[in-house]
Amino acid sequence: MSMKALNQLVGRSIVDPAVVNAFEAGSIGEMLAELGFEPEMVEKLSGLRAETWAEYAVLAYRVVKAAERAQVELELPSPVEGLRDDETGAGKEQVA
Amino acid sequence: MIGTTREERRWFIRAVAQGLVDWMGVAEPPVPVEEMLRHPPGVYRRDFGVVDMYSNLWDATFARPPSRRGSVFVRIDLPPAKRRYALAREALSAVVTSEHGRRLGLDGMLLEELLRAGEEFAGHLLAPDRMVAAYRARGGDAEGLAEAFGIPQELAQRRWQEVNAEIA
Repeated sequence: MSMKALNQLVGRSIVDPAVVNAFEAGSIGEMLAELGFEPEMVEKLSGLRAETWAEYAVLAYRVVKAAERAQVELELPSPVEGLRDDETGAGKEQVA
Repeated sequence: MIGTTREERRWFIRAVAQGLVDWMGVAEPPVPVEEMLRHPPGVYRRDFGVVDMYSNLWDATFARPPSRRGSVFVRIDLPPAKRRYALAREALSAVVTSEHGRRLGLDGMLLEELLRAGEEFAGHLLAPDRMVAAYRARGGDAEGLAEAFGIPQELAQRRWQEVNAEIA
């Protein structure tokens, strides 16, 4: 959702000066919230500092991408979870 | 100025192209790039235009004559698909060097590699991911993409591979 919203925001910035106006006024957070970013993400992205909107967009891309990558890692089951107790025990016996 | 990776610039170019596609409000190919250049978004009213030229040197080039609006000067005898591609590629030059584009900082990020960026931009503008994916989902194939989207065969091949890689 965040990356999709960021794509929309960057796309909109190309034709709508309201986006760069908000960035220059330091109020981009309000626009991010309107686009459906989670409050925690809004806080992170609002804290980014860049000289231009294009640079800000790339910094935001890095943050959003890192968050999405972390989310995927969280959702992946641990390799240990697939092991049953008896299987683990059997392995130990074999090693011994 | 921050350093950016090629992947980041590609993402940015794709978002820029998609922004213009969304502005045009088109859901089906072909994307009307010449119409956009002739009737641009308000922020580009002094930057977009099309002028037909007789030339043997280039297919199209963007120029901003003194005290006149910028325009893409395009060879009059190009086949339609090549004309659309050349106009789309040069449209990025218009965007990057416009007052709005410079305010956004596009010149700092894309000016140095404008030719390559323009080629990528043209692909995303004329054959947006969503449209190519929808075309594929309806049973469209690589061979028919160029005709369906009104783009040169080489560009169609490239976009087909890129979108397929994304989906896989």
